[in-house]
Amino acid sequence: MIGHQQRLPLTIAALGLLFLGVFLVWPLVNVFGASVLDSEGQSFTLANYVKMLGRPFYRAAIVNTLGIGAAATVITTVLAVPLAFSLARLPIPGKAAILALAAMPLVLPSFVSAYAIVLLLGNSGLLTVWLKGIGLDIGSIYGASGIVLVYTLTLYPYVLLPTVAAFKAVDVSMEEAAQNLGSSPARTVRTVILPIVLPAILAGALLVFIETLENFGVPFVLAEDLPIFAVEAFKLFIGETAPNPASAGVLATLLILTTVLVLLIQRHFLSSRRFATNARQTPPILKVGPGVRIVATVYCWTIVLLALVPFFAIVVLSFLEFRGPVLHGRFSLDNFATLFARDMRPLANTLMFASAAALCTGLIGVPIGYVVTRWRTGVATLLDVVATLPFAVAGTVLAIGFVVSFNAGPVILTGGPLILVLAYTVRKIPFAVRSAGAIVHQIDPSLEEASISLGRSPLQTFLRIVVPLMLGGIVSGVVLTWVTVASELSATVVLYSGPWRTMTVVMFQALEGGGAGIATAAASTLIVVTLIPVALLYRLVRRYELGS
Amino acid sequence: MSGIVIKDASRRFGSVQAVDHVDLTVEGGEFFTLLGPSGCGKTTLLRMIAGFCELDSGEILFGDTRIDRLSAHVRNIGMVFQNYAVFPNLTVAGNVAYGLMARRVPADESARRVEEALALVQLSGFGERKPHQLSGGQLQRVAIARALVIRPQVLLFDEPLSNLDARLRVSMRGEIRALQKSLGITAIYVTHDQEEAMSVSDRIALMNAGKLEQVGVPADIYRKPASRFAAEFMGTTNLLEARQLGLAAPVWVSLRPEALRFADEAPADWPRLQGIVARVELLGPLTRIDVTLGSGTVIRMATLDAPHRAVAVGDAVTLAYEHARLTVVP
Ligand SMILES: Nc1ncnc2c1ncn2[C@@H]1O[C@H](COP(=O)(O)OP(=O)(O)OP(=O)(O)O)[C@@H](O)[C@H]1O
Ligand SMILES: [Mg+2]
Repeated sequence: MIGHQQRLPLTIAALGLLFLGVFLVWPLVNVFGASVLDSEGQSFTLANYVKMLGRPFYRAAIVNTLGIGAAATVITTVLAVPLAFSLARLPIPGKAAILALAAMPLVLPSFVSAYAIVLLLGNSGLLTVWLKGIGLDIGSIYGASGIVLVYTLTLYPYVLLPTVAAFKAVDVSMEEAAQNLGSSPARTVRTVILPIVLPAILAGALLVFIETLENFGVPFVLAEDLPIFAVEAFKLFIGETAPNPASAGVLATLLILTTVLVLLIQRHFLSSRRFATNARQTPPILKVGPGVRIVATVYCWTIVLLALVPFFAIVVLSFLEFRGPVLHGRFSLDNFATLFARDMRPLANTLMFASAAALCTGLIGVPIGYVVTRWRTGVATLLDVVATLPFAVAGTVLAIGFVVSFNAGPVILTGGPLILVLAYTVRKIPFAVRSAGAIVHQIDPSLEEASISLGRSPLQTFLRIVVPLMLGGIVSGVVLTWVTVASELSATVVLYSGPWRTMTVVMFQALEGGGAGIATAAASTLIVVTLIPVALLYRLVRRYELGS
Repeated sequence: MSGIVIKDASRRFGSVQAVDHVDLTVEGGEFFTLLGPSGCGKTTLLRMIAGFCELDSGEILFGDTRIDRLSAHVRNIGMVFQNYAVFPNLTVAGNVAYGLMARRVPADESARRVEEALALVQLSGFGERKPHQLSGGQLQRVAIARALVIRPQVLLFDEPLSNLDARLRVSMRGEIRALQKSLGITAIYVTHDQEEAMSVSDRIALMNAGKLEQVGVPADIYRKPASRFAAEFMGTTNLLEARQLGLAAPVWVSLRPEALRFADEAPADWPRLQGIVARVELLGPLTRIDVTLGSGTVIRMATLDAPHRAVAVGDAVTLAYEHARLTVVP
C-alpha cells in the first residue's frame, strides 16, 4: 500500500523520471548504442572504439581537451582565490560593483568573448595590427593559448563566487582560537582558513573543468586546426553519412565518461572533507597597510574589467563599418540593418525558445527540487542522480542523442522548434533542481504540516504555501535560465533547422562565412538580450531587499 | 466530544523503535499530556495522530471512526508546533482564516470566526499585522487561534512553549489550559518538562524508549511512581534499597526530598536517620541539603527557606521521614 503521505512526491518523481527517461536517458542510450554498433546499426562491435582511438588525430583531441581544461582550471583558480580573499576580507572600494560585474561573464556567451579576442588579437586583429605598427609581435592567439585565455576570462566566476561565500562563512572564533594558540596570521590562513574554504574552491574549479570539456563555441572560434573533443564530435556527426553515427557516438560516449568520472572524483573528494562551520557573524575586514590595499584594489578591478573588455569591444565594433572582414573607423548602423533586414525570425525565435524553455525548466525543475530535498527515499535519490546527469552531458552530445532518437520511430521531433525547447529544458534542469532545492531547504517543513493539518491537501499546500515562499528564488532561476538559453550554442547548432534559426546560429553562420559585420551585430544583440533581464532582475532583487 | 483510542501502535525508524506497542485512551474534553525524555517517541506518537507519520502496525480511532488510514488533511485536527509555523507570507488574519478557506466557509462567517478566535487569544486588532511584526508569544497565540478556529476534533501541541522565555512559559501554559477547558476540546500535549506537564494536565502518559511507562493523574504519577524511571523522571528523589533505611524488605523504595524533615520539626512517630551534612544549596524558596548517613548513603532532603535554622557542611544532624510517603518501586 502506498501511504497517503507518499502520493504527491511519488507522482512528481514518476513524472520527472518519465520526462528525463524519454528526453535524457533514451537519447544517451542511443548515443552509446551508436558507438557500439556497426555502421549499419545491426550488430555489436567495439571496432569503432578501436578505430577512433587508433587515430592519432582523435587521441590528440583527447589530450588537447584535457590539457586545455587543466590549464584553464589551474589558472582560473590561482587568479580567483586571491581575488575572493580580497573581496571577502580586505578593504576594497566598490565591492558590491565588483561582485556584480564579476558575475556577468556567467550569463554572457563565452563564444562572443572568443570572437572578440579574434577581432582584437587575431591575425589581422585591431590590436595585433596596432602592436605590429609599434614593432611588437604577440604571436598567434589561435590554438591552445587563446582558448585558455578565453576560458580564464569567462569561467573565473565559477571559482570566485563560491570562494567568496566560503571565506565569509569562516567562523571568526576559529581564527581567534588559532591566534590564541600562538599562530601567526599567515600561518592561520594556511592552516585554518584554507582547509575550510578548500571544498568551495575545489567545487568551483571542477565546475570550470567540466565547463571546458563541454564547451563548443570557444574552441570552434579559436581552435583552428587543433582537434578538440566537442568540436570534432560535432564535425563527425554533421559529416557522417552512414545510417549509424558510430564515430560521433564514440567521441560523445568518451566525453560523457570523462565528465562523469570528473564528477565522481569531485564527489569522493568533497564528501571526505566537508567542514561545517556556522559563522555567527561575517568575519571582520582585516586592517592592512595602504600598500596592500592599493595592490589588492588594482588586482580586483583589473581582473573584473579585463574579463568584460571583449564584450565591450564587440558592442563598440558592432557600431562601426565593416567591408567584408575589414574594419573602417566610422560609426554606422549598417551591421544591424543588414542583420535585421534579412530576417527578424532568428531574434523572435531566440526570445520565444528562451521563454518556453525557461518556463518548462521551472515547471519541471522546481517540483523535482522540492521532492529531492524533502524526501530522502531511494526514489528521490534516483531522481536526484538522473536530474543531475545533464550537467555531465555536453550540449553537442545531448543534441546528437536527440537527433538519433527522435528522427524516426514513435516520436519525431527533428525539423521542428520543439526539439530545441526540449533540449534546452533538459540541459537546464540540473540548475533549476539545485537552486529550487536550496530554497526548499530554507523553508521550515512544519509550515507545510501546519497547512495540511488545517485541511489543505499536499498538492494545494505545495501551490499555496511552498511556491509563494519560493517565488523570489523561482523568478531568479527562471530569468537565469532564460538568459543562458538565449545564448546557447552547442545543442542549437546541431538541432536547428530551416526557419528555426536562433541568434546564436546566425552568429555561428556569420563566423563561418566571414561576415564580421553581421557577426558583431548578432553578438551585440545577444549581449543586450542577456543583460536586460539580468539588470531588471537585479533591480527587482534590490528593491525587494530594501522593501522588506 | 469524542475521545481518542490508540490500539497497539508501533513505528520503527531503521534500528530505532520510536513507538513500541502503545495502547492509550484519551477521554473527550480531556487535557492529556505525553511526557518523557528527549527521543522517547512523544513527537512520533503525536504525529501519528496528526497523520504525518504512518503506523507500522496498530490503529487510531476518533470515537468509533478509524482514522489512521486517512490523509492528514481530512482528519480535522488542530496542531500547534514548537516553532509556531505561522505562514510568513500571510497576515495574522490570513493565517487564522487559512483553514476556513480550505473548508470553503463563506467570507462573512469566516471574518466573524477569525475575529472571535483572535479575541480568544487576546490578539484582537492584530489581524492586519505580518508575522515578522509579532513577538514569539504572540506568534504562538496566532498558531493557537489558527488551530482553534477550524473547530477541530482534537488539538495537538508539540512542545508549544519551549521557544518562549521562562516567565512567558508559565503564563501561557495557564492560558492554554483555561482556553481548552472553556471550549471543552480534547487536547494532547507533548512536553519533556515534568513541571509543565503536572501544571496543565488532567492525565499524563509518561513515555520511555517508545513505551508507555505509566499513565495517570499528575498527583499519582508524582506520588506513586510505578517504576524507578518514573520516580526519577518526575523530580528529584532518593532511590534507595530498603535496607539502607534500616528496613528488612529486599525492595527498592523512592523517598522524595520533601518527605524528610529535621527531627526536631517532625512528628515523634516518624522514623529517624542520623548523618552528617555534606552539602547545602540555597535555591531561593527551597534549600536542598545532602546528608551522608552512617552507612555511607547520601540522602537528599529539601526544606522551605528558614533563616532561623543554621545548617552548615559537617554538622551532625538527625532527620526524620514520613513513612507513608515511602513508595516501593519495582
Ligand atoms: N523521520 C525519522 N527518521 C528516523 N528516525 C526518526 C525519525 N523521527 C524520529 N526518529 C527517531 O525516533 C525516536 C523518537 O523520536 P521523537 O521525535 O518521537 O522523540 P521525542 O520524544 O519527540 O523527542 P524530543 O523531546 O527530543 O522532541 C528518536 O530516536 C528519533 O531519532
Ligand atoms: Mg519531539
